[in-house]
Amino acid sequence: MAELLTFGVLWVVFSVLGELGVSAWGHDFYFYTASTQALDGVNASVFLFRFLTPIFVFVVLMLLYIPIRARRRSNESVLRGKGARFNATYVTIWVTLSLAVNLLFFVHPTTSAAEQLFQEMSPQATQNALVVDVVARQWEWYFSYPQYGIKNALNANGNNVLYLPVNRPVKFVLRSYDPNHPYALGEDVIHSFWIPAFGEKMDVIPGETRIMVATPTKIASTETNPEMRVQCAEVCGPGHPYMYATVHVVSNSAFQQWVSQQLKAGN
Amino acid sequence: MSVARIGGAPLPLRRKKMMPPVIRGLLWAGIGFLVINCLVAYVLDPGYGTPFITQPSVVFGWLAALAGWLLGIGGLENVLLPAFGISVPTVEVPGWRRYFGYSTNHKVIGIQYLVSSTAGFFIAGLAAMFMRIQLMGNHMWFFPYAGQYIETVGIHGTIMMFSVGTVALVGGLGNYVIPMMIGSNSSAFPRMSALSVWFVPAGIMTVILSPLLGQWTTGWRGYEPLAQNDPNGILFYYLGVFALTLSSLLVSINLTSTILFKRAKGLTWNRLPMYAWGILTVSLLNIIWLPEIELTFVLAILDRVVPLPFFTAVGSPMTYLELFWLFGHPEVYIIVVPAFAIWMEIIPVMARKPLFAREWGIIGLIFVMLLSGLVWAHHMFTNMRLTEMLPFSFFTEMISIPTGFAYMVVIGTIWRSRFRLTVPSLFVLMSMFNFLIGGMTGVFLADPVINLQLHDTFFVVAHFHFTVIGGMVFTWLAAMYYWLPKFSGRIYNSKMGILGAIWVFIGFDGAFGLMFIQGLRGMNRWVPVYPPYLQGLNIIISIFAFVLGLGFLFNLIHVVWAMKSGKKVQENPWQSKTLEWQTASPPEEESFAAAPVITGSFYDYEDTDGTYTIPTAPDPVSM
Ligand code: HEM
Ligand SMILES: [Cu+2]
Ligand SMILES: [Cu+2]
Repeated sequence: MAELLTFGVLWVVFSVLGELGVSAWGHDFYFYTASTQALDGVNASVFLFRFLTPIFVFVVLMLLYIPIRARRRSNESVLRGKGARFNATYVTIWVTLSLAVNLLFFVHPTTSAAEQLFQEMSPQATQNALVVDVVARQWEWYFSYPQYGIKNALNANGNNVLYLPVNRPVKFVLRSYDPNHPYALGEDVIHSFWIPAFGEKMDVIPGETRIMVATPTKIASTETNPEMRVQCAEVCGPGHPYMYATVHVVSNSAFQQWVSQQLKAGN
Repeated sequence: MSVARIGGAPLPLRRKKMMPPVIRGLLWAGIGFLVINCLVAYVLDPGYGTPFITQPSVVFGWLAALAGWLLGIGGLENVLLPAFGISVPTVEVPGWRRYFGYSTNHKVIGIQYLVSSTAGFFIAGLAAMFMRIQLMGNHMWFFPYAGQYIETVGIHGTIMMFSVGTVALVGGLGNYVIPMMIGSNSSAFPRMSALSVWFVPAGIMTVILSPLLGQWTTGWRGYEPLAQNDPNGILFYYLGVFALTLSSLLVSINLTSTILFKRAKGLTWNRLPMYAWGILTVSLLNIIWLPEIELTFVLAILDRVVPLPFFTAVGSPMTYLELFWLFGHPEVYIIVVPAFAIWMEIIPVMARKPLFAREWGIIGLIFVMLLSGLVWAHHMFTNMRLTEMLPFSFFTEMISIPTGFAYMVVIGTIWRSRFRLTVPSLFVLMSMFNFLIGGMTGVFLADPVINLQLHDTFFVVAHFHFTVIGGMVFTWLAAMYYWLPKFSGRIYNSKMGILGAIWVFIGFDGAFGLMFIQGLRGMNRWVPVYPPYLQGLNIIISIFAFVLGLGFLFNLIHVVWAMKSGKKVQENPWQSKTLEWQTASPPEEESFAAAPVITGSFYDYEDTDGTYTIPTAPDPVSM
């Protein structure tokens, strides 16, 4: 009984400490978040942390405390330890709880957060979204803005660049082919379109069209935070590490200005 | 004096001393390759400009080399000729040499597998060290070209998965221990087993030599259509993995049959040891899924060599991904299921208490096996249809329940026991701790919305190393220390053992624990160059990784030393009741002089239990 009590006290103490840690740092799980989708992910993670903390503490304590408590002194006979071969209460609690926790996780946050994301990606929700056509080839990202007539966004140095207005949903239309050799279908490979600060990525599959939706929430750029960059996340050949592009999330007026600059430059 | 006979007619006697089998195998492999390669490259299907090596010629040449290798190693005298009714008397080579040739003794085969796996582990580990050296800088400096780094990642992953993860606890320890554990003097198909082990060095060599054919940059998953797009090295990836998986498939067929048909009298299903249950479940996984991946690789080879564009944009790249992960997820359970079983094998012995809730442990193993076929697409959340996500997410979360049963059983067993905190128990506890972290982080990855951020980052790299190294490699070390007296009749040095355990624990948890953070900060996989803000932490990770590498080396040296010159111990130093400990240590050629009869459970430690006599003297080896 005393053993159980000590164990219980330790469990509660460490779990409370853990929960304090979750409150303090949980929301920094992604380090830097700059889109509503990233926040959805962080919130889901924090919820998981809340429940996993006591479970983690419980099992770790079990792995530390019980073997140490049960440790055989060297002068004891080796013959046999005490203890039951089965304990219905323990097994029932274990099985029921693990089932319950997993079902809970599936309902919330898994399904709830996924439904939220599906909703954000639905055609209704993206009616007024900014459309960016993203083309991936080995090893370069091309961005075009069909709503504004920008065919290939480039910065002053001639590098591909992604400009986005803040707080407006963006619908990325992702395709993998080589615009310079569009007939060479067999040459394309899978890439993955990832902006770390946006908290999501989507693979770009040759022969298919994929959609990713993000709503940027912070004005920032690759220069101010390196997590604000387009990075190919799926290995796509020796040039894979170099397959990135700079991103600028700017105010609405700055975006309009940028659009007219691009058009003037004939991009 | 020997006479080979065909249909009764005596043949002239011509028995010289045989070349060392490995040398002869290499020679015949080389000859086989040259003959068939030239035949295809110059006669049957000459390429433009008749190059010496073409894609078809190298594939057929490799098959001939494999055949030459297997025949040279002893398959000719022992398998091929007898199959045609020609009996060739074979001479058993004595001493250490028998480990370098064809042997039907399951203990020799087990050691051969273990040595091959260990070699694979250190070769691929060296590759990992090179990777970590490169990652200490954020520009190319150790490797001249990015492609070489990515190729090294692929070779590391491929050798680790298919010659270590899948092999060490099944082909290695399984072959050695399982027949003894069920009271048999041999496995069910000893001759098949004698050959199957030699696929492993062939497979490892093939993967290592792959750069000769050209760089491949797909990583261990061989993703299409990149695989078609790369130079030819990928062919040796397919063929090498083909050889390695074939070996594991044969092991599984052999061990399943052994457990089904060769059990001693009285060894009912209710009494079957946990490790045998583990090997049985993992073998079923192998038998179901290894042929699947092998056929996928045949398709990929046809795709490339013929070519038939199955998996390019005009075909369906996604089909390859599905086919790969259909096998690929069960693969990770192929790696850890035997580890779970070993936890449940070692702990009751160290706790000297009946295995707690044994049925639930077995149910856990079986349900993990069943569910593992239903979760594959959680590796594909970033490229599947939204509507397909939730079912895979559901089963992925559910699989943690049967996995948890192993924890329930072990903890219940230690509870109020007299637990011996020995080196094997320490490694098991560390393994359970590390696998717990792997499992907990898996909950985050199973959630599609979170997965879209974490996928393809170092978070995933950390997660799967926690399951594979934490779950399987730590348990492998536990098992090596536990069965060391069985292999050699000697025992490790406790202080060195504890030092080794703590050493790898610190190196491992330091390196891979920090990799979680690195992934969350935006470091993606397969990149030798990365933005400068990631460099500081990468240097620290690399230092921990070097500590880890040296720690593994330390444990290797210690185990080998202990086998040769450790302190001698009594036959059954742990007073275990399972059958392998009821034989001599090290076991005789025939493990059991007389067939054992089982009358009780292996996991009951009752004072009144008369099945075995247990010495009451204090255990001389625990700490
Ligand atoms: C010796 C300690 C080890 C170290 C330091 C280590 C380190 C690494 C690193 C740095 C990567 C590259 C990640 C990337 O850029 O994508 C990697 C990949 C990988 N490792 Fe290890 N590793 C070790 C042991 C193992 C073991 C024991 C296994 C399995 C049995 C394993 C399986 C893999 C696999 C499957 C990959 C993925 C390869 C790919 O992306 O194709 N590693 N490892
Ligand atoms: Cu790419
Ligand atoms: Cu890439």
